[in-house]
Amino acid sequence: MIEANGEKIGRRKLLMRVGKAGAAIGACGLASYLLYDPTGPEARSETIELATLPDFSVPREAGQTISIVQGQDRVKTVDKAIELLGGIERFVKPGDVVAIKPNVAFASPPILGATANPQLVAEVVRLCYSGGKAKKVIVTDNPINDPTSCFTLSGVGKAASEAGAEVVLPKPHLFRRTTLAEGKLIRDWPVFFGPFERADKLIGIAPVKNHHRAGASMSMKNWYGLLGGRRNIFHQDINTIIAELSMMVKPTLVILDGTEVMMTNGPTGGSVSDLRRANTLIASTDCVAADSYGATLLDLKVSDLPYLAQAEKAGAGTTDYESLKPARATIG
Amino acid sequence: MSSVPAPARRLESAVSVCLLAILFLVAVCVLLKQGDVDMSRFGTDPVAAGVVGAKPPALTGQGELFVGPLLPEGFKKLSESEFYNPENLYEKIDGKASLYTESGFEKLLTQRFAGTQDEDLWMELFIYDMANLRNAFSVYSRQKRADVEVLPDAQFAYRTGNGLYFVHGRYYVELVGSSESAELLGAMSQAAEQIRTKLAVGKDEQITELTFFPQEGLVAGSNRLYLASAFGFKDLTDIFTAGYELRGETITAFIGRRLDANDAQKLAESYYRFLIENGGAAKPTANVSLKSWQGRVVDFYGTTEIVFTVGPFVAGIHEADNRQAAEELAAALGHKLSKVAEAVRND
Repeated sequence: MIEANGEKIGRRKLLMRVGKAGAAIGACGLASYLLYDPTGPEARSETIELATLPDFSVPREAGQTISIVQGQDRVKTVDKAIELLGGIERFVKPGDVVAIKPNVAFASPPILGATANPQLVAEVVRLCYSGGKAKKVIVTDNPINDPTSCFTLSGVGKAASEAGAEVVLPKPHLFRRTTLAEGKLIRDWPVFFGPFERADKLIGIAPVKNHHRAGASMSMKNWYGLLGGRRNIFHQDINTIIAELSMMVKPTLVILDGTEVMMTNGPTGGSVSDLRRANTLIASTDCVAADSYGATLLDLKVSDLPYLAQAEKAGAGTTDYESLKPARATIG
Repeated sequence: MSSVPAPARRLESAVSVCLLAILFLVAVCVLLKQGDVDMSRFGTDPVAAGVVGAKPPALTGQGELFVGPLLPEGFKKLSESEFYNPENLYEKIDGKASLYTESGFEKLLTQRFAGTQDEDLWMELFIYDMANLRNAFSVYSRQKRADVEVLPDAQFAYRTGNGLYFVHGRYYVELVGSSESAELLGAMSQAAEQIRTKLAVGKDEQITELTFFPQEGLVAGSNRLYLASAFGFKDLTDIFTAGYELRGETITAFIGRRLDANDAQKLAESYYRFLIENGGAAKPTANVSLKSWQGRVVDFYGTTEIVFTVGPFVAGIHEADNRQAAEELAAALGHKLSKVAEAVRND
């Protein structure tokens, strides 16, 4: 007889209780053994390989860094603008694979000017093949909207394909993480990298647009399309991210289309009434200079767009485009 | 027999049950949260890039958005309807999303329609649910284009060469066409009519502040509503503006209503200080009415800013080139507000 807490327990009862307790302890031990993971969760590798976009830029040539051409016909103005910089042969060599990154951010019609003009994209593709003797031209973007709809409804997909380009839509396997060495925001971030991995040259094509958050969307903001993940978080620090993009991407050439400028309600617009005809097209090897001139088409000053000064300070280019002695022309 | 008294045992049991229940709840919450993790938030999931829209949230109850019945004659669906919420609105309109999310945006429905005969003739419908009329008016007014055709069909409606835009109760609606086409505009009008007829909204909603502006020189349809940070000053919220053509120039007048006169005076004073701290220079005024309303006139880099209060209203003039015209308009606005304030007091 055992007395505990005043309760009398018989031998049989005691043995049963001891047995139950033992079984419970045993079950816990067995469960722990079965669930035990000797390796533990895999720690994130510190040595993970981060991708870096190649430097696509070409050597600078005095007086041939930026060209500004006035005219209504984009095909003619882009031909002239590139000619003034030394011709497409300066930028595209025979056998090159050229990646063209137009702004195809939205599934909206060309008439709204929210995306790169299809005829302009097609003409640049044509130039790369005919004058530059490119082996292949890739036209690609990572739109904010559904990519297929964007390339279809903007007219860019069809125009690029008909001009002989390969249109590449974003797929998960084409993204890789990257870190910008001097960057504050681009740290271990997924970037639409695949199409550029096999390219020798990179050409950006962007319309001049008002942008509710950034003030303006032009050639530097066009690189925003390379960012993956929930990139909208960068809108909280839009000036820094645009400046960092200008450091991350070193293009061969940018083409800034100010033929029709979205003056209001950007970046999507939504009405032809948002557009103003400025009949200006800029080609440049310096994104910062191109956008600094582009700002004037939106009736803005360089100081109105802080990311321009930030990019200049980071060494991405100059806001003093006049110091580059722009080559100018007017197409009748 | 246990030595522990029965009430104590019951208490111990109750406490134990509560603790077990809490542990169970914690476990359930952890499991649910774990199943809902979105790695793209941490920039580690590139799959998130390029993904459009979101799974349609359950839209039920009053104010449910619909699309099916409003197919215009001669048009067919070009895409399925897509729904967006404040979390993913940026996927549709990128940098413009903040204009909506900072104005009470709740959800967006979009869908495209194309002509049955000509698929190049297409339009996209955007129905933004802005929670109330004031919010809807704010986003409508701040995006309103110049040189538009104002439509009589609704309180706030206009069209441009390729689009139709209007406020319907709590909804701001855009119909955007792929080209400048009479056929498209006709179809848009049909769709708009169906929306107004079938999409239920609260009746008799009005924005009374719009009637507080003097009529002389007022540019029709020029009213704007800034829900936050009007003129770059964060405390200037819920501010209505109106454009006036006076002496050959356009002048902007503004009105904001506060809880009481004291509140209005505090705001006017802080806005005045904001102007001075940012480079403005105080200027004297000879206008007797303005003086009586503690009016402040500021030269702000060559333009005139005026701020004053009448009862619970803070009002003024923004960025006027002609100071005299600005002071005259401010006085007219003040007199109108005095009558409104008087009526409010009598109520």
